[in-house]
Amino acid sequence: MKIVVLLSAGRHPVSGAPVLPRMEAQAIRIAASLGEVLGLHAGPDADAVREALGLGLTRIEHIAVAKGLDPVPALAARLAALAPDLVLAGRRGQGGAESGVVPYALAEALDLLLIPDVVAVSGGGDTLTLDQSLGRGALRRVAVRGPVLATVHPDAAAPLAYAYGKARRGTIERVGAAATAADGPEAAVEERPYRRRPKLVKGAPTGGSAAERLKAATGEGGSATKGRLLVEPDPEEAAREILAYLRQIGVIADASKPKQ
Amino acid sequence: MTRPRRDPRAERASIQVAGEARPRFDRTARRTGSGRPRRDPRTERAGQRVAAEARPRYDLSQTVRFDAPVATDAQPKTAAAPPPKILIVEAPAFLVAVVPDAPGGRLSSHDRQVLGAARALAGREGGVAILTLGACEGVGPAGADRWLPLDVVEGYDPATQAARVAAALTALAPRYVLFPESLDGGDLARRVAVRMGEPVFTNAEVVAANGLVRPARGRRVEQRIAPGLLATVAPDAVAEYGGPPREARPLPVEAEAPTPSLKRIVSATRVPADPATVPLALAEFVASVGNGITDLDTFRQVVAALRATPGASRVLCDAGLMPRHTQVGASGTVLAATCYFALGISGAPQHLQGVAGCEHVVAVNTDLHAAMIERAGLAIVQDAQVVMPALLRLLADEAGESV
Repeated sequence: MKIVVLLSAGRHPVSGAPVLPRMEAQAIRIAASLGEVLGLHAGPDADAVREALGLGLTRIEHIAVAKGLDPVPALAARLAALAPDLVLAGRRGQGGAESGVVPYALAEALDLLLIPDVVAVSGGGDTLTLDQSLGRGALRRVAVRGPVLATVHPDAAAPLAYAYGKARRGTIERVGAAATAADGPEAAVEERPYRRRPKLVKGAPTGGSAAERLKAATGEGGSATKGRLLVEPDPEEAAREILAYLRQIGVIADASKPKQ
Repeated sequence: MTRPRRDPRAERASIQVAGEARPRFDRTARRTGSGRPRRDPRTERAGQRVAAEARPRYDLSQTVRFDAPVATDAQPKTAAAPPPKILIVEAPAFLVAVVPDAPGGRLSSHDRQVLGAARALAGREGGVAILTLGACEGVGPAGADRWLPLDVVEGYDPATQAARVAAALTALAPRYVLFPESLDGGDLARRVAVRMGEPVFTNAEVVAANGLVRPARGRRVEQRIAPGLLATVAPDAVAEYGGPPREARPLPVEAEAPTPSLKRIVSATRVPADPATVPLALAEFVASVGNGITDLDTFRQVVAALRATPGASRVLCDAGLMPRHTQVGASGTVLAATCYFALGISGAPQHLQGVAGCEHVVAVNTDLHAAMIERAGLAIVQDAQVVMPALLRLLADEAGESV
């Protein structure tokens, strides 16, 4: 199976140093267990993704795209030529606008099926099985046919350990890029240093006192105000009350319903 | 001038309630002839309270005689508050569309926040239109003026869903469209954006008519832009709509049905999270054990029977009785669970910080005055050691009946 992992030039969120985004390193790990993997990067500089060679890739193709230009046409042209069975990308970039639109634009340009937030891929040949994260540890197991583009969720398995020797042996090839015209003028974006906004306190009354806001922040204002108190009940009765309460809020299944 | 000397014994004897073996004294009876009556500041204060307001207000200009009977608000509070009037925007100047996740036909709190953001964008002239896939409850109180129920897409087919939403948006022609930046909402927003060929402003933390703000470059800078057509709103960044309920008038929009795409998704099944292995921070239902419990084997059986994720207080983790990764609280894991079941936990402030995000708390503790009992929605003052076997027996009985 032919797999392409899309690589981006990330920046470390704290130090600002060039780094491979973690989700792309996780994508390399997912791909490495499935078949032949190729890294693909479009950008002004290939050094930004050299780290990926130490994390499990042996070969990276670099398409030179000038800084500030849209990489999607160049990537789409190269992917159309390569015709891979599976394309993996991170769900968001890191260090740029972090909008996560590039995989969607590629899927639209190539008419690929896109499955977002994947944590594991298995299978091979005709159909692939992708485990998609639904949050809170729940998964959706999707079986797909044909070429597919998947974005990787941070809950996927941790990336492989960095290996210096592999990073030395790996190769970065430069492939020619089709000339891409610059996009129309971008919407005016004003940039300022980031300012943290006050955290929204759920349930705090507007115009309430500081004590009320504190109660809302520690959760004492919520269910506690209308809570039920049973003092020294019979243990059996206490157990019945607990089960009835848990069923009422829906965290445990009803006894009347048969278990699967 | 001399005052007559008080005779406490005689005063006491005069207020004794007659005809009872055990001496009882009626201290409410006004003493007669012993000078001026005593002031009662509490009664005076209560008399100054303005009735029929939830938040206490006092009219200080009003002086209530201490011996006058206190006016009690005769009418109950529910009768005092009239049902809130529904706000109707007859002809909105423009529309702000919201596409919520609405899992299970119910608006999540993130969806409500997006509706609040849309309400802020709409202002007084505009209207908020909500596009839901299938039925959805409570859209009017959450701030929607118009409501477009779209047809549900069978199975998991996000491309068809996005095509349907994009077609409806083209027909509706709103000025702004807002999505929640959640797993599903963010995915739908980007699909709709590439389909409509419009840029999308993702993860907006500030939503106002004069600009949207989002963090960028690893939260080093923030980008401000005039609102465009499509935007997604970050969770817990914008307040929910708090005004009177709105109309949510159903709005028929004729959008041509998109051509079904090729059937490339063979199957999609939902695999629920295994509560035994899911990380504590992600768990839905956590049952937690504290120093009030010594029988940890029974606790483990209870956890398995309830299909909960096990947690523990710091004391047990320090003692090595429970693994460190199960510790709940400021120095352990801060939970995002729906329900927290605390067995034998008194509730230190550091522990309560870890539970602050939980919607429902059930506590079993021997101490009536424990902080956890005060925090709990269902508080049981009883020894957790005897409640746990009772729970297990009850669950076993029910399992026996249903088989």
